Amino acid sequence: MSDNNTLRLPAEKLYEHEIKALVENEKGKIPTGWQMSPQSVLTYITGGKAGKTKITPKYIGNKRLVEIAIATLLTDRALLLIGEPGTAKSWLSEHLTAAINGDSTNVVQGTAGTTEEQIRYSWNYAMLIANGPSQDALVKSPVYRAMESGGIARFEEISRCSSEVQDALISILSEKNISVPELNYEQSARKGFSLIATANTRDRGVNEMSAALKRRFNIIVLPTPGDINTEIEIVRKRVDEMAVNLDLEAALPTDEAVAKVVTIFRELRSGMTLDSKEKVKPPSGVISTAEAISLLANSMALAASFGNGKISNEDIAAGLQGAIVKDEEKDKLVWKEYLDNVLKKRGSEWRELYNACKEMNR
Amino acid sequence: MSQLMGKNMTPHIFGIRHLSPGGAYHLLKFLDEIKPTAVLIEGPADTNSQIEHFTAAGTELPIAVLAYTEELPVRTMFYPFAEYCPEYQALLWAKKNNVYAQFIDLPSEVFLRLEYVNQITPETPNGVQADQSDDVPQGSITTGEDRTESVYQLWAHLAGEDDHDTYWERNFEHNLNKDAYRLSASEFGRSLRELSCDSREEHLRTLLREAYMRSQIQNTIRNGHEPDKIVVITGAYHAPVLGAEYPPMTDEEFASLPRVKTKLTLMPYSYYRLSSRSGYGAGNQAPAYFAMMWNCLINNDRDRLSAEYLSSIVRYLRDSGTPRSAAEVIEGVRLANALAGLHSDSVPALQDLRDAAITCLGHGELSGIAQAIVATEVGTAIGRLPEGVSRTSIQDDFYRELKRLKLDKYRSAIAADLELDLRENRRVKSKEAAYLDLNRSFFLNRLKILNVCFQKKKSNKEAALWYEEWVLQWTPEAEIQLVEATLMGETIELATAYAFKERLDNSSAIADAAAIIRAACECGMPESMEYARSVLQKLAVDTGALEEIAQAVFDLSVVISYGDIRKFDSSHLIPLLEQLFLRGTLLLLNASYCDNNAAASIASAIHRLNAVALEHYTIVDEELWLNTLAQLAECDDRNPKLSGFACAILLERNRVSNEELSQEVARRLSPGIEADLGAGWFEGLSMRNRYALLTRMPLWQYIAEYVASLDNEQFKRALVFLRRAFGEFSLVEKRNICENLAEIWGINHNQVSEHLNEALSPEEEQTVAELNDFDFGDI
Repeated sequence: MSDNNTLRLPAEKLYEHEIKALVENEKGKIPTGWQMSPQSVLTYITGGKAGKTKITPKYIGNKRLVEIAIATLLTDRALLLIGEPGTAKSWLSEHLTAAINGDSTNVVQGTAGTTEEQIRYSWNYAMLIANGPSQDALVKSPVYRAMESGGIARFEEISRCSSEVQDALISILSEKNISVPELNYEQSARKGFSLIATANTRDRGVNEMSAALKRRFNIIVLPTPGDINTEIEIVRKRVDEMAVNLDLEAALPTDEAVAKVVTIFRELRSGMTLDSKEKVKPPSGVISTAEAISLLANSMALAASFGNGKISNEDIAAGLQGAIVKDEEKDKLVWKEYLDNVLKKRGSEWRELYNACKEMNR
Repeated sequence: MSQLMGKNMTPHIFGIRHLSPGGAYHLLKFLDEIKPTAVLIEGPADTNSQIEHFTAAGTELPIAVLAYTEELPVRTMFYPFAEYCPEYQALLWAKKNNVYAQFIDLPSEVFLRLEYVNQITPETPNGVQADQSDDVPQGSITTGEDRTESVYQLWAHLAGEDDHDTYWERNFEHNLNKDAYRLSASEFGRSLRELSCDSREEHLRTLLREAYMRSQIQNTIRNGHEPDKIVVITGAYHAPVLGAEYPPMTDEEFASLPRVKTKLTLMPYSYYRLSSRSGYGAGNQAPAYFAMMWNCLINNDRDRLSAEYLSSIVRYLRDSGTPRSAAEVIEGVRLANALAGLHSDSVPALQDLRDAAITCLGHGELSGIAQAIVATEVGTAIGRLPEGVSRTSIQDDFYRELKRLKLDKYRSAIAADLELDLRENRRVKSKEAAYLDLNRSFFLNRLKILNVCFQKKKSNKEAALWYEEWVLQWTPEAEIQLVEATLMGETIELATAYAFKERLDNSSAIADAAAIIRAACECGMPESMEYARSVLQKLAVDTGALEEIAQAVFDLSVVISYGDIRKFDSSHLIPLLEQLFLRGTLLLLNASYCDNNAAASIASAIHRLNAVALEHYTIVDEELWLNTLAQLAECDDRNPKLSGFACAILLERNRVSNEELSQEVARRLSPGIEADLGAGWFEGLSMRNRYALLTRMPLWQYIAEYVASLDNEQFKRALVFLRRAFGEFSLVEKRNICENLAEIWGINHNQVSEHLNEALSPEEEQTVAELNDFDFGDI
């Protein structure tokens, strides 16, 4: 199964020991189809202790939102997580399923090319032609499999799919079964079945979800991190984890570097300096927390491969350039303006970073 | 309870939280069980005289006790009650069972003096003659109130809740088991006493209040009530220390406490105010929600609460046009229950319900249902007191005035019109009757200054100084506002004077001061006017803004014109008007260097000054004013709109001959001059009386010649600004222009109107469409 060469382990493998500790120390009542009580799921996501094992927090920020998400799944309703890109929607959905059933791999990735078969079932055509319709020839979709096992299916980026495909979910969510007319068979969902979908607010209006489908979801809007300290904490934690996963042989970014990157990101995102005194033009692309994380990991890779193993201001500047300037013409102006109007006046600690960024834009 | 009768001097003590429906519910059960002969309640002892009014027929809650100091600076104390207050329910119970009921906290005269002891003697915080100052823990001296607040917060966090209100609701309001509330509240109070760290003053105050409450309890026992037939209802914090094991305050000690003269009254209150004044201990952010809870509790149907809360939101949403289904309410209730389950609670708390509403009814976003949530949680209920109960001195004054001015009948919930003729009524005999309407006007204007929403002035259609139209409508809110006005003065007149003084002391612009002079004149208050005049004079010295000066001049001139009608002497305002007008005149030319945005306000300033010049030509230097206008009209470098405007005024005044006008038009429109200069000037010119323009044939003659002299390209350019200049003319006026031009070109009137009424021919449409391609470039 998994050895050290897997690039990305699913959450239930990555945090196997934590889940195990939680299950072993379970004191609450476990709902049917779940592997631990709702309180333990909450602990798994927001951090705490299980017996002697320390549980690391997976979602930092609004604990109440996690509570609402768990409560939704308790009431056999489907859950829809909405938010800006990079607000940990998929991350939260993966960890929720990992904690609730220990299997986060029933995923449908929504794209413009997703078809109804990927939500319901399709056929192994060779077998279908050879033997006619049979259970063996049936290729089950992740949703089908989740129904069978009483687990939770995940549907990523639901609003990227066309409306016809989205609407295939309506009957699944209200009837809680999938019928296979070819076999004269109906697969009913076992207790514990549910669905977590994620959607992007930037995609709003691309394939607007129908009211009928929306009504079958409890909708939670995930916010961008409320204050700078939360965001710094999130970035630091994730960068640490990635460094271990990817075997990056560079020193972790200093607190100061993280704080600087997060400050720049927050200011550009909100269109205002942190002290709300100056307006800033926001760039065209999304500048999410997730981007700040990958930027720093990227800088670490740069430092490890081409530098002295320590993240320099030049590495960060290169990362910033790539993250912020997505549309060459417009964003470059925005970035230059920000550099000269805001960063330049920030005093000596910012001087080197400013110089490095300025150098790139010559 | 007490086996050793007579020895145990401790009565039953029921610790509560003010405004707690659960507390009220348990308290009623407890009272029914103990059947006390005396009910003692935490609350200012001087409220005792008002107890009968709490429970009188015709009283509707919420109401509040308002105590205030008689002397300046006015200090106040509000003590609001809602229907679900344990204290109020105790009073109701006592009345029903004919039982002795009393408030036992320090009277307001001591309380208000102590409350502000800090401000009174800032250097010596020990100014209080506290008999138990030894009890104060030394560590708490430097700490403030926020520390105690953080104890509440910390406590809630330890219990896994976000805030204290939710903690309290889950642990106290939801537990309906017998005695659960009383025992846990008492335990809560005990722990809080150990943890809280109020400031030294705060702590001393608390100790004094508790000692006084103990003395009142012991007095009650001495008056013949058995200790175990007494129930004391007090905040959970005080509950542990009211027993006989602590010393009561002696009469001498009480007599030695500092005092300040106070008055106390009941007043109607509203849920809105209840929610906006919420302190951390009061738990009244959502008065309507708690009222809903109380109704469910007394009907023994608490499970109804979730459904009722969510349905009420849905009802609001539907009424405002957002459809939401019953299925969504059902899902909301289920989600709320699941959320409560996560906190090991049997029923959802307000926070759970609100989050469920956001998730299921708001589709994840608060903004869509925020109004519905506020309507459901805060509500609009307004209290009511029987006639004559709530009588502060200002209310007495108000009702006296109503009677004197024969306005009684207007004090109703139905809006009624009132027309006033401010002139002397010569057909009646008494002086009072002759000026009845004038005095009414003074009275209503004073109420306006005090922000009492009893009256609304209609805009004056006839623009006559002696005529006013009002709409009068009485609301409970107005009564509340009236009571609050007490804080400014004993009578309506005094309060108004105080309000004026306060506004004047804070005003830094002369326009404000002038507005106050005018308002004071409308209120018939010469002293305030005189004070405002002196303030205005001081401010006027260094004001250089034309708009402000014009506004002030205008207000002053209105006041001076009022003179006779409102019966006061305006002579001392005249020099001020003269001086300000002169300043305005001198500033005009410089102020006219401006862009078109600023020009609008300068134009209205010119308009005002001109109106004053017309009305008070005997006072102000009219000649200088007109000369200045003439200068402005001729200028090429000032804002052209303003030059045009000045020219229009001069036209009205007949200061410009036809010859001069056509000269000016010619100059402005001559080829080679910038288009803007001509167009802007025309715009300004047409901002005033357009008929004065329409009747000046030579003007049109010249325009006709000008248009004829243009070549095609120039014509298109000219078309743009001519259109802009005449764009604001009405249809009739445009027709008049056409007829004027037709006359010049020698065409018959009828032909013109015929042609204008025809639809555009295809060729004409083509020509118009071609104009769309015109490059506006620099225009």
